[in-house]
Amino acid sequence: MSIVGTDRPRIDADDKLRGATRYLGDLKPHGLLHGRLVLAMDAHATINRVIKDAALAIPGVVAVLTAEDLPTAMEGPMRQFEPLARGEIVFQGQPVALVLAETEAAAEDGVEAVIVETTSHAAVLDLEAAIKPDSPLARIRQIGGEMEGSAAMHVEAAGEGEGAPAPAAAAAEPVSANAKGPHRQQHGDATAALAGSEAVVKGTFRTSWVHQTYMEPQGALAIPEVDGSVTIHSSTQGAFYVRGMVAKLYGVDVSTVRVVGAPLGGAFGGKFNLIDPLVMGAALAVGRPVKLQLTRSEDFASGMPASACILELELGGTKATGLTAFRSRILLDQGAYGDWAMDGAVPVMIGGPYRWSAWDSLSYGVTTNRFGTGAYRGPGGPQVVFALEQLVDELANKLGVDPLELRLKSAAVEGDTGVDGDPWAPVAGREVIERTMQHPLYKKRGSLPANEGIGVAAGVWMGARFPSAATCRVDQDGGITVVTGAVDMSGTNTSFAAIAADTFGVPIESVRISYADTATAPHAPPSGGSGVTYSVGQSIRLAVEDAKEQLLDFASDQMDVAASDLEVVDGMVRPVGSPDRGKSVAHFAEQVTGFVATAPPIEGRGRFAPGNPSPSVACHVAHVRIDPATGEVETLDYAVIQDVGKALNPGLVRGQLQGGAVQSIGWALYEELQHDEYGQLLTGSFMQYAVPRADRVPNVDVDYIEVPSAIGPFGAKGIAEAAVMAGTGAMANAVAAAVGSRIRELPMTSPRVWRAANSR
Amino acid sequence: MIPAQFAYRRATSVADAVAALADPDAKVIAGGHSLVPMMKLRLARPGTLIDIGGLPLRGIADGAEIVVGSLTSHADLAQAAAFAAAGLQAVAECAAAVGDVQVRNAGTIGGSVAHGDPASDAPAGLIAADARIRVAGAAGEREIAVDAFFQGPFWTALGEQELVSAIVFPKPAAGSASAYESIEDPASGYPLVGAAALVTVAGGRVTAVRIGVTGVSGTPFRATNAEAATLAGAPVADAARLDITGQDVFGDTRFDEEYRRHIAAVVIGRAVERAIARAQGGSQ
Ligand SMILES: Cc1cc2nc3c(=O)[nH]c(=O)nc-3n(C[C@H](O)[C@H](O)[C@H](O)COP(=O)(O)OP(=O)(O)OC[C@H]3O[C@@H](n4cnc5c(N)ncnc54)[C@H](O)[C@@H]3O)c2cc1C
Repeated sequence: MSIVGTDRPRIDADDKLRGATRYLGDLKPHGLLHGRLVLAMDAHATINRVIKDAALAIPGVVAVLTAEDLPTAMEGPMRQFEPLARGEIVFQGQPVALVLAETEAAAEDGVEAVIVETTSHAAVLDLEAAIKPDSPLARIRQIGGEMEGSAAMHVEAAGEGEGAPAPAAAAAEPVSANAKGPHRQQHGDATAALAGSEAVVKGTFRTSWVHQTYMEPQGALAIPEVDGSVTIHSSTQGAFYVRGMVAKLYGVDVSTVRVVGAPLGGAFGGKFNLIDPLVMGAALAVGRPVKLQLTRSEDFASGMPASACILELELGGTKATGLTAFRSRILLDQGAYGDWAMDGAVPVMIGGPYRWSAWDSLSYGVTTNRFGTGAYRGPGGPQVVFALEQLVDELANKLGVDPLELRLKSAAVEGDTGVDGDPWAPVAGREVIERTMQHPLYKKRGSLPANEGIGVAAGVWMGARFPSAATCRVDQDGGITVVTGAVDMSGTNTSFAAIAADTFGVPIESVRISYADTATAPHAPPSGGSGVTYSVGQSIRLAVEDAKEQLLDFASDQMDVAASDLEVVDGMVRPVGSPDRGKSVAHFAEQVTGFVATAPPIEGRGRFAPGNPSPSVACHVAHVRIDPATGEVETLDYAVIQDVGKALNPGLVRGQLQGGAVQSIGWALYEELQHDEYGQLLTGSFMQYAVPRADRVPNVDVDYIEVPSAIGPFGAKGIAEAAVMAGTGAMANAVAAAVGSRIRELPMTSPRVWRAANSR
Repeated sequence: MIPAQFAYRRATSVADAVAALADPDAKVIAGGHSLVPMMKLRLARPGTLIDIGGLPLRGIADGAEIVVGSLTSHADLAQAAAFAAAGLQAVAECAAAVGDVQVRNAGTIGGSVAHGDPASDAPAGLIAADARIRVAGAAGEREIAVDAFFQGPFWTALGEQELVSAIVFPKPAAGSASAYESIEDPASGYPLVGAAALVTVAGGRVTAVRIGVTGVSGTPFRATNAEAATLAGAPVADAARLDITGQDVFGDTRFDEEYRRHIAAVVIGRAVERAIARAQGGSQ
């Protein structure tokens, strides 16, 4: 029986329901010191002195560490390389000191007693002002060095290929050192193509800083071992990634750092090496285990949320052929650290899933005194989609064509030139749009009561192409154990189990997925970029196939049947066509795992580098009702139509797509990290930072299609991030339909909707 | 997220709790759902917590008046049939609008009133119902009219060494009904504005009305202009704007002052409309 393609509960669900999962917060090694952070009060300042005496006098407080106390071996322009402020504070909430104590309470008492003396500087917050040549700098001391590996990962996953660097002539605009760029993508003569279009629309759009709001705040635990090595337990998406980065920061051999991924209590792209450098440095400094888990307010204050953008976009089209050309200029607020900033990718992403004949697309990453940029599900996507998909709708309106018809005409297909200059990989935009046209929610569009609106939008995510490896062994009882170093994120292990069961031919109950740490696991990429199932899933399939081949070779000798005439069904090895002559996998496994054996144990190996992406396209349809008297927006109904390649586990696919819809509603209506004019965070808790709670989320209908990938396991594509690539656009188009005028700023809060509704 | 150190003890009686409050560093704790969050943020750091949770102050007595013990939970209030029967639907509706199930189960009416959070739901209903707050002190019990009770943000007429023991709701005349309307902050769930209206309808006319407004400014207040308009049969929301104009209205970067003034008037109008519809026999 095929397991792939059937609904199964997550293999970690039972433990989670019973509270048996051991999260990072549950780990309490002997001799543990608890860390608590002293966070910067100023948004921008020079640190003159950190006075530790009073804190150190508190019973239980063991140490107060500042940047000088961490045995770092290098510096670089990344948050990960600056775990504590080095001389200059660059955002309010930045960790300045780490108090270590025998109890968490003592550490918190210690934090209150630390005095940080500073000289304040102007906070750089306004994007347009910040890039002007005479702007004050958000960072007085510029730190040299290259961005490492991090942003590059998502930039690549989002679709910027090799992309030639911007020609020097492009930098016509004089800018300050706060501006990084321009990143520019150009093709054809955009000006002429726009001029030759039947209709042209343009607008300026603003989006907000948005936090990932995973349920479990960030945290890590570092344990110094007697041999001088350090073991890090971390709530991270990428154990190997953390190992590489902290080893580099502290100038130690990667072999002296062992990173163990703890079960994730949510991540959404936000959990990469934020706390690990801190606890690693602290453990090295004091020689005791150190754990730091942020509180919710600390996570809001000092986490790495998603960037705000200002997007200027102009696009043109004709009735007969669809979209023609676009011109864009995007300012992406990367904050004080651009670790995961997408400034290089947004000029590509803003082209959406469409074919264009000409474009001129540029962006700047802008350094400001707010947080630093983290990755958040489909980084850059919700921002560009908000601009692009509203304008596509306006254009359809101007041209007098159905909004989906226009998108259908313009959908890119395999071989079309992408905005990054690379040809499109096979992509099912047309199929998804056609399916959406048939969706009952979309069809309802024409017959709505007053103050209601239905909006549609399309989006695409290219997907990461990480290399990976995995092993598969056959256990003495005939079960199989797959070893992976990929952290189980949103159910990936559950899909791995199905892949392994079907590939080998054993029941799902006989499959064990064993997560291994960086000391022992085959190499695994971070769980992110929608690349885990796509790459690791395929490595696992290859490892299982290898193991199966080894088993069949051995069985072939034993049974005197050619291996090619043997199959494994339901845990039985049997000659094809003679099921009654079968012998159990266990029968053979016992023979190669005993004290004396004629053949070696079975251990399969799988290695995979996907090479090409398998982009996933999604359409979202949103139905809203507004109260014109108060501006409140109620999301009444929602549908997600997405090409998933192959739904390895339909239940998990539905969960991902519904989650994408919910987060889209959050981006669209509620979520915004706000600062005042001094750079003080105004929305630092769930009392001010609104997320869509269950009572504000409608039924989300999921209608996926399966256009198989030639690369992913069983035809699967990376789906998780495509699921948020259309939401802000669909919601904005729905609100516009209900209100009768457009809102060009996220989130579309009730005051903004009220004003739009009453200024018609 | 960890409170500063404090001592803890259970009160054995109301008198015991009152006596313990002689220590200026002591604070009583009821449901703990306002106090503990403030302690965790170290915005409150009492030296001693006196737990009154075990005192016999919980329950709703329905007689000539409705007397609600201060430890009665929001959930119990929301479910009590006595209020609707007396035309005091708004009181139960205010309680139902508080937080989520856990909060309503743990949080108490006495704690809410004593806390004096200008963004809390309860004051609107209390003002509309012309309730009295019964307090116990060293010199025995006294009652404070609701109109004199709320004095500013987190500031009430409660004395330093006094305990809220009950809330007393007089029963309105026959033909009365009430309603509570609010618009909640999508983040906190607290009202950006909440308005409760209690009307008495006789011969097709509104003969009496009280309107309580919360969430908008530092002190919950009576909307007297809207009350006059209601009695005159004039458009209420327009008159409500006058009530709001006199107030120092909250406003921030998420929900600015102009917006909040506007929705306050809208919500007051809606509360009055719904109360009248109820009094006229509509089931709403
Ligand atoms: C997540 C969350 C959401 C919430 N949402 C809302 C909401 O939407 N609307 C709303 O109105 N409220 C809301 N609340 C607050 C809730 O209503 C509180 O329960 C209530 O305000 C306080 O009641 P308590 O019994 O918990 O008081 P406690 O927290 O125990 O005490 C609060 C204060 O009152 C004092 N006190 C308590 N009882 C007495 C007494 N009998 N006599 C004298 N002083 C006393 C205490 O010393 C303390 O200063 C929310 C709370 C939480 C945690």
